[in-house]
Amino acid sequence: MLEVNNLTKTFKDTVAVDDISFNVEPGKIFGLLGPNGAGKTTIIRIILNIIKPSSGTILFEGRPFTKEFFNAAGYLPEERGLYKKSRVLDTLLYFAGLKNMNKKSAITESIKWLSKLGIENYKNKKIEELSKGNQQKVQFIASVVHNPKLLIFDEPFGGFDPINQQIIKDILLSFVDSGKTIILSTHQMDTAEKLCSDIFLINKGKEVCSGSLWQIKKKSGANTIRIEFAGDSSYLNSNPYVSHIDSYSNYAEVQLKDNILPYDFLRTIIDKININQFSIIEPSLNKIFIDAIKGNSY
Amino acid sequence: MNKAFIIAKWEYLEKIKTKTFIISLFLTPIIIIGFALAPTLISNRQDDTTKVIGVIDTSGKYFTPLLRNVEKYKLTNGQPNYLLINLAGRDKNFTGIKKSADENTLSGKLEGYLLIREYSNDSTKAEYRSKNSGNFKDLGILREAFNNTRIELKLSEEGINPSLMKFISNSVDIKALKIEKGGEESPSDFLILFFTSFIFIILLMMMVISSGGMLIRSLVEEKSNKLIEIIISSCTPNELLAGKVLGLSGLGLTQVFIWTLIGAALASSAILPREVFNHILPVLLFFILGFVFYSAIYVGIGSIVTTEQEAQQITSYLSLAMILPAAFALPAIENPNSAFVHILSFIPFTIPAIMILRFNIGPIPVWEVLVSIAIMAASIYLSIIAAGKVFRVGILSYGKRPALKEVISWLRE
Repeated sequence: MLEVNNLTKTFKDTVAVDDISFNVEPGKIFGLLGPNGAGKTTIIRIILNIIKPSSGTILFEGRPFTKEFFNAAGYLPEERGLYKKSRVLDTLLYFAGLKNMNKKSAITESIKWLSKLGIENYKNKKIEELSKGNQQKVQFIASVVHNPKLLIFDEPFGGFDPINQQIIKDILLSFVDSGKTIILSTHQMDTAEKLCSDIFLINKGKEVCSGSLWQIKKKSGANTIRIEFAGDSSYLNSNPYVSHIDSYSNYAEVQLKDNILPYDFLRTIIDKININQFSIIEPSLNKIFIDAIKGNSY
Repeated sequence: MNKAFIIAKWEYLEKIKTKTFIISLFLTPIIIIGFALAPTLISNRQDDTTKVIGVIDTSGKYFTPLLRNVEKYKLTNGQPNYLLINLAGRDKNFTGIKKSADENTLSGKLEGYLLIREYSNDSTKAEYRSKNSGNFKDLGILREAFNNTRIELKLSEEGINPSLMKFISNSVDIKALKIEKGGEESPSDFLILFFTSFIFIILLMMMVISSGGMLIRSLVEEKSNKLIEIIISSCTPNELLAGKVLGLSGLGLTQVFIWTLIGAALASSAILPREVFNHILPVLLFFILGFVFYSAIYVGIGSIVTTEQEAQQITSYLSLAMILPAAFALPAIENPNSAFVHILSFIPFTIPAIMILRFNIGPIPVWEVLVSIAIMAASIYLSIIAAGKVFRVGILSYGKRPALKEVISWLRE
């Protein structure tokens, strides 16, 4: 388990990370979410010992996360790039070597991963001869080839087409099964929603909300209803039970006032519009994200 | 430290395959040898045909003795090197003769012509007119012959014994000998001295500049594609620094090794003077000390650079700074025992160049050598510590290059 306690980082006069604490459990994907400039990458860099925190501690398996864990961590930074003039397999062996992997198993593992991602034919090509997507695959392999216990992925899906995104998602889920500790930092809320069981939402260096995805949804999703209808929906706007409505051409997401039960609301509209579907919904993570960042409280 | 070796090996193997490295490996010695040999080859080239030189002598008295003074210069086949032709006597149309002489020179019939004019106030003016005014050898011979002629004429005018002339014109050359250990002596030749010392100083500079430039470029690449973060999350900054300097030194040693081989091959075929290798061990010691010292400086400064453009700027400034010690070495050749040279032998930036030079000039007191080595070792230690401090923060600074004030604050940490 990775424990982050009261982490604070100040650069000159800006507070990039402000008293952040969270735990990352093994066997789960932990979603570190937030808008650009929220402080996600700074937190990741501190965890990985790239920069020092102004205050706060990081513990991994109960001990300070220092040099001894270097080989146990795998990191895929958001901005990608490799040595353009070097060859694919050489590059992978170099990074595996930096994680103290012996050469023999580094070769077997590299080849295994290259063929898993369908690029084993490129192993002796120079990086610059590969397409961008394939370069990203090489870098992904570089971050996992040494079978790390702690994996940190910063926007791992950027630059991949949907098919490859699916492949990477499947790999991430297989890491969950093998009990690895995984931090996923992303803007793609739909992906985070599918993969992460724990969420930590951060904005301007401060925690906005955190907990298991299920809890957060329950907390923020009370009394939201989706209605699909035919005909005029203008009545919905003036309904006294409605606190907020997002209406679209043939459906609407309606948030009810507190203490109003969905079927009370249903009763008031049943005669007014032609309902095709009526369902109680959880808000999407995307909506939670946007509302949270805009300052709506839950 | 295991990781430092992994990094060193990677840096070494990836850089040694690059075109830049291979080109500089073979081009540098060719350029240096070319520069060193070209002037001597050109200036020592013997004429292979007799040169026809005209003489216009308005006084009429110089031509015959001048002829005698030029006769002694012979070609290798025994033919005279110069054939002088009297173009004019006294009372002739001066302008017309000069015009036809000009034409003959331009058309190549004459190599050139000597124009001697004597004025009524006893002053004499001489011009050598030819298509190219740059032939110092011809000019030197004519100058000497003409001046000897003048003195001869004057002496005989004054009724002085012509044997005195021989004495005056026979200047005694002072032979320069260098005293070596054990009372041996060896001929000291400015050219060889220049060559033996400068070849190493220039090699050192070229090596530092080329491999230091490679180092800075690779740091900028790692910074711009954030690979530095992956590396720094796998090892400590000090391991990375040590790995880079080690890899770079490996490259440097490879260069030296290959260059020494080339040099030895050239020396055995007598293209390069054997004297180059007389003091090879102490010279190599200072060479390596210098290389490590300058490399540490490159690493420290290089880690601050954030863009390719800045890298180019800063490498050109550093290159200039690297050339300075070589410039200081020039006065040292002229006056190797001056206080100035002794002071330079204790300044870390100039120690390698000056000591390499002084080993070739003559014996150095043992204490001076030891003090220089100690100063060099201490400077290397301090520069690596300082480079490490700057490096630790510098490699992670993106975008804006840190101000000098910030860098100084990193050093204090």
